[in-house]
Amino acid sequence: MSAPLLSIRGLRAGYGPIDVLHDMDLTVHSGEIVAMIGANGAGKSTTLMAISGVVRPRAGEVRFDGHDLRALPAHQIVCLGLAHSPEGRKIFPRLTVLENLQMGAFSRTNPQEIAADLESAFTMFPILRERMHQAGGLLSGGQQQMLAIARALMIRPKLLLLDEPSLGLAPQIVSQIFNVIRDLNQKGVSVLLVEQNARMALKIAHRGYVLETGRITLADKAETLLHDPRVRAAYLGE
Amino acid sequence: MAQPKYPNWPMAFLIAFAVFPLVPALDEWFFTFTNRSLVQQVPGMFIFGILTLALNAAVGYVGILHLGIAAFFGIGAYITGILTVPAYPFEIGFWCALIVATLGTAAFGGVIGIPTLRLRGDYLALVTLGFAEVVKFSIQNLDAITGGPRGMNPIPPPEIIGLPEPLFVDSIGFYFLTLAFLVAAYLLLARIERSRLGRAWVAIREDELAASCMGLNVGRLKLAAFVFAAGLAGAAGCLYATSIGSTADPNAYGFNKSVLVLCCLILGGLGSRNGALFGVFCLYGFDQILSPIIDVGFNNKFLPTVITPWLARHDC
Repeated sequence: MSAPLLSIRGLRAGYGPIDVLHDMDLTVHSGEIVAMIGANGAGKSTTLMAISGVVRPRAGEVRFDGHDLRALPAHQIVCLGLAHSPEGRKIFPRLTVLENLQMGAFSRTNPQEIAADLESAFTMFPILRERMHQAGGLLSGGQQQMLAIARALMIRPKLLLLDEPSLGLAPQIVSQIFNVIRDLNQKGVSVLLVEQNARMALKIAHRGYVLETGRITLADKAETLLHDPRVRAAYLGE
Repeated sequence: MAQPKYPNWPMAFLIAFAVFPLVPALDEWFFTFTNRSLVQQVPGMFIFGILTLALNAAVGYVGILHLGIAAFFGIGAYITGILTVPAYPFEIGFWCALIVATLGTAAFGGVIGIPTLRLRGDYLALVTLGFAEVVKFSIQNLDAITGGPRGMNPIPPPEIIGLPEPLFVDSIGFYFLTLAFLVAAYLLLARIERSRLGRAWVAIREDELAASCMGLNVGRLKLAAFVFAAGLAGAAGCLYATSIGSTADPNAYGFNKSVLVLCCLILGGLGSRNGALFGVFCLYGFDQILSPIIDVGFNNKFLPTVITPWLARHDC
């Protein structure tokens, strides 16, 4: 297999005096959906933030597409084609839908390419076109999540980090969002998906990791994890 | 931009302010009524408008709660004083002083901003407040440099090439000079709002984490806003010192002024240029222009013609 798109080795990260992640290893290959599941406080969001540079890693190696991410600040990591859609959607509530998407393309400069990507975002999420000139904060939760994903795609990423896209959404909307993630992946975007909704995540993922108190405790094909008795007991409620 | 169409009232106001002094009869009528000339009163409001627009860049766009804008206003005024009064050897005149005051104050903004902008919310607000007090007391106590509580004077009026004499601060020319600076500041902010920089500032206000996930260099953009606000406040300070011909008493640059500017912004709506001007018009306009007028009008007209006869009729 070729070199992985994202490889993390021995990652340690945390806040203040506390380490949240201890010696973590993780890889994402090009074209994959990788799911990371775990309980509250296991360090899932911290992992994503350490990758995208919002939280500075304290030790270990983070390599993405041939670049050492630990040497770069967050705003330059984005330019390498690594998009991070943070937990809780974090859209810009008082900017319009269109302005939100334009902010997504902030790191890019070619107006034709941006216009084309805007068009494909609207094709993928027709509701966003309908509500283009409304403030982002007026959208429903599901629509805001779509906006958050569409905004992250405006970076034209090779790898999309998605943090809890199902958070606070109705089950029907959740399956809609997961269909979108699968479609995106078929179009060639690799995805690292962090989820509490372990069943949904493992169903669409190729591989999965189980994170417990800052350490990877299981790593396998998603299909295998879905049938692993330990995962079933701890995360699938069986 | 999806903005509702509404008449552009600030422009209407500015045009009214531009036309008003061209009709001397208006101001004369006003003078007979109140013993005050609006042409002399209004430039102060224009300068205050520039200061409010400056604060709008930091507080309104980026969401930096800045409680010390008056300190930068004061630094601009004192730089102007040092560079133009006869007591110092520089005497470089208004225009050069304006440039140096703007850049120098912006540099002060950078020096304060670099270490402190890592702080968030309330903590940053306290640092700006504390810095402003430090500046005020430094000005007050560095007697040898700043003249202490006496301030520095006389600051010469601006000279314009081609005009036979400088624009004295009570002249129509000075009125138009300050109005022109206010319009320029307003248009500059309008331009920034529509630019990449302005969008980035607003995105940071809306959500800092998301903004940094979009590839914005949040630290540097915040610093840019802080420095920009400082520089524009410094320019306003230069105009202010010129308009009163002195750097005034250091207390003119204290916490009260910072809060009044912030109140103007909040009254008009944070982040809105038009709102900022509306706030200045209401608060500063009422405090400095309308309320003295009402006072004089009441004592000179209403009291002798209405109240006193009424009282006399009723044998009081």
